[in-house]
Amino acid sequence: MKLEIKNVSKHYGRKKQALQDFSLTIENGILGLLGPNGAGKSTLMKIIATIHKPTNGIILLNKNNIIKDANYMRGQLGFLPQDFGVYPNLNAFEFLTYIAAIKGVGGNALKTRITELLDGLNLLHAANKPIGSYSGGMKQRVGIAQALLNDPKIIIFDEPTVGLDPEERVRFRNLISDLATSRIVILSSHIVSDIDVIADQVAIMKKGALLAKGDLQYIIKEVTGKIFEVSIDSSRFSDFKHDQFVLSATRSQGSITVRYFSENPVEGSIQKKALLEDAYLHLTKS
Amino acid sequence: MKPFLNVILLDYIIRIRSYSFLIILYITTAISYTFVPEPNANYSTIRIGEHVGYYNSAWFGYVTAIMTSIFLSLLGFYLVNNSIKKDLNTKVGQIIASTKIKNFTYLLSKTLSNFLVLLTIVFIIFVMSLVLFFLYNDGFDFELAQFIYPYIIITIPSVFFIAVLGVVFEVLLGKYSIIQNIMFFFMFSFLLLYSPQKEIEYAYDLLGSKIVIHQMEETVRSILPVEKADTDMTIGYVLANTIQAKKFKFNGVEFSLVFMSSRLLWMILGILLIIILSPIFHRFTVREYSLPKKRTKSRHIEHTPKEIILSTLPIPHTKLSMLPLIKTEILLLIRKGSLWLWLINGTGIVLLTTLNIKTAHQFILPILWFLQVHRLSDITSKEIQNHTFYFISSSFRPLQRVLTSQIIAGCCLMLFLAAPLLFRYAIEMSVLEILSIALGAFLIVSIAIFLGIITKGKKLFEVFFFFVTYANINVIPVVDYFGGTIKNTSHTLIIMCMTIIICSLSFLKRKLEINR
Ligand SMILES: Nc1ncnc2c1ncn2[C@@H]1O[C@H](COP(=O)(O)OP(=O)(O)OP(=O)(O)O)[C@@H](O)[C@H]1O
Ligand SMILES: [Mg+2]
Repeated sequence: MKLEIKNVSKHYGRKKQALQDFSLTIENGILGLLGPNGAGKSTLMKIIATIHKPTNGIILLNKNNIIKDANYMRGQLGFLPQDFGVYPNLNAFEFLTYIAAIKGVGGNALKTRITELLDGLNLLHAANKPIGSYSGGMKQRVGIAQALLNDPKIIIFDEPTVGLDPEERVRFRNLISDLATSRIVILSSHIVSDIDVIADQVAIMKKGALLAKGDLQYIIKEVTGKIFEVSIDSSRFSDFKHDQFVLSATRSQGSITVRYFSENPVEGSIQKKALLEDAYLHLTKS
Repeated sequence: MKPFLNVILLDYIIRIRSYSFLIILYITTAISYTFVPEPNANYSTIRIGEHVGYYNSAWFGYVTAIMTSIFLSLLGFYLVNNSIKKDLNTKVGQIIASTKIKNFTYLLSKTLSNFLVLLTIVFIIFVMSLVLFFLYNDGFDFELAQFIYPYIIITIPSVFFIAVLGVVFEVLLGKYSIIQNIMFFFMFSFLLLYSPQKEIEYAYDLLGSKIVIHQMEETVRSILPVEKADTDMTIGYVLANTIQAKKFKFNGVEFSLVFMSSRLLWMILGILLIIILSPIFHRFTVREYSLPKKRTKSRHIEHTPKEIILSTLPIPHTKLSMLPLIKTEILLLIRKGSLWLWLINGTGIVLLTTLNIKTAHQFILPILWFLQVHRLSDITSKEIQNHTFYFISSSFRPLQRVLTSQIIAGCCLMLFLAAPLLFRYAIEMSVLEILSIALGAFLIVSIAIFLGIITKGKKLFEVFFFFVTYANINVIPVVDYFGGTIKNTSHTLIIMCMTIIICSLSFLKRKLEINR
């Protein structure tokens, strides 16, 4: 599988440009999409999912232009939108059967597949209750299940872990980790540690443009050896913030432990192992 | 005070900005254009016996004002009585409930924004009445007062009370919108039928139209010889009025102080109603979803979910059959609304079986079908309302399959309800009737789907269907979509063409949407 996004732009109205000349090539594996609010992640995903058309540019899936031939994409797509809803009057089983019918899959295997999916997402005990009575996280998991119904070859999850408790997040990670070998999985998240653990590749975007793309090592390389921590007096904090690229700060009894990025650290700093979060903050804040 | 006004204003702006309001405005403009017929038109709206008024300022002002009062009381109620429900559906209600706002303040602000919405429509009609006056100018003087008085004294107070009623019904009957509609309808019919006998009784007339009509009748009576005093008043659209109407001069009404204060009292009564109802307002604590009563023995065994490996799961094969889609759409239609509404449907079905076949066809069928209005209006708008649109637009060939199955499901519901009647006609071998009913179902379902698609909401179809049903019960042939009164092949053909056109438009619009 190979997905090529070539010079894609998307305008909303005349002024708003959500994507600007965006290019990216994605191959089998899990791609984590990171970016601040409004960066254009959902816009990109909706365009790949053929819900929106780009203003400019083309998208090729295995050399097929999916902007012209949307059904080529739709036939092998699993998509979890960021803001989706359900029909509250249906139970999970009925809803998934309905979505499967919309996707055009069926047969005897479907029933087993739905049951297994519900089981794997810890929803089987509630499968016969109307979705209207579900909790937020349970609804989110119904959304995840519907994306996996048709054995998709390309799977797009827009913030899949929103609303999931820690245990369910782990379950989700385990669930999708074995998809990577022969499929494309694209997922966006604001929880950097989620991406950290599951993604093979990371793409960081901001204001509709791609800032960096590569595997974890590659992304982190930029900041490796330049991440430090130092404890300073609270009163000096605002000056310090002015002089240095502060990534995070934790307060403890009068002093503040600051984590920062620097080429030449201040005295008394301890070098730290660089994390994806550091690279992300460094890229998007500067 | 300032925040309160802001709330009203914002609420108002949100509502008039919606696409469906724009459509309502178009319709209002079109309808109000017909309130005073063009001088050579072959219909009349208000007519006393053989008389209509000279086209002077008073005639334009009063006729449009009372037509608006009547028309907007009916239409307006259906237009505004979802303002609280909207907050409930959008969950904004939950935010509101957690603020300091008092029930009374909230309900009053809803009332006032309802009122503003209706006032906007009144204003459009008012402007239209001026335009019409100059358009059909018959050489009479322009007297602004003759336009302003009737609107201020008759239309505005009655519209205000309607705005109150919209809120009152919502507070009392919450989510049972179909019952609100039916109850209001009966109330409105009662208001129309009410005929005051004594001077003082005009004060009780909420719509305020009776006093004007009375004055018109008196004027005609005064110019006619006693023995042939035909002063029967007709309101509404009387067609084929080819005989040249006689003219009389109408000079407006001298409103008594009692009558004028009664208008004010109606408005105060409205506010009082809101005050009284404030303590029982649910404040968004209603359960949005009620679990089925019947509990399957709750299995409280601690269930450990299975670790599944996705790549080993069975793979469903491609199956483009529409049956499961239709099945689910029907399921959604049936489950919509509370279960006991099906008791009413059941009664309707029994009546269709037992009553004489003409009555059943002409009256019971349209009413029974109308009772499904909230189901039909939901067919295509539910995707927007429930945010499931993305699932559909990213699926495989969504257009042909989903929309078609929605139409089929809607028709199935309507035909199921009409089944006893169809069966009776089948026994009589009346093919035309069967065809008209089937086409009628098809037409109304496609209109529901079309309006749902273009407005992305339910209101417009609900109001439309209501008027069509109302007109059908009053046996107005032009709106007979199910062959209740007109029984000929060419009419059936027209219905068929309309259905095809509307369906094609729906498909076209959906296609454009999906290819954004
Ligand atoms: N339908 C729309 N109309 C107009 N502007 C839009 C629309 N959808 C998105 N935008 C704008 O496009 C930009 C990108 O939005 P998008 O939803 O893709 O961001 P995102 O990266 O998914 O953000 P988040 O992390 O908050 O989900 C934003 O500035 C947003 O305001
Ligand atoms: Mg987003």
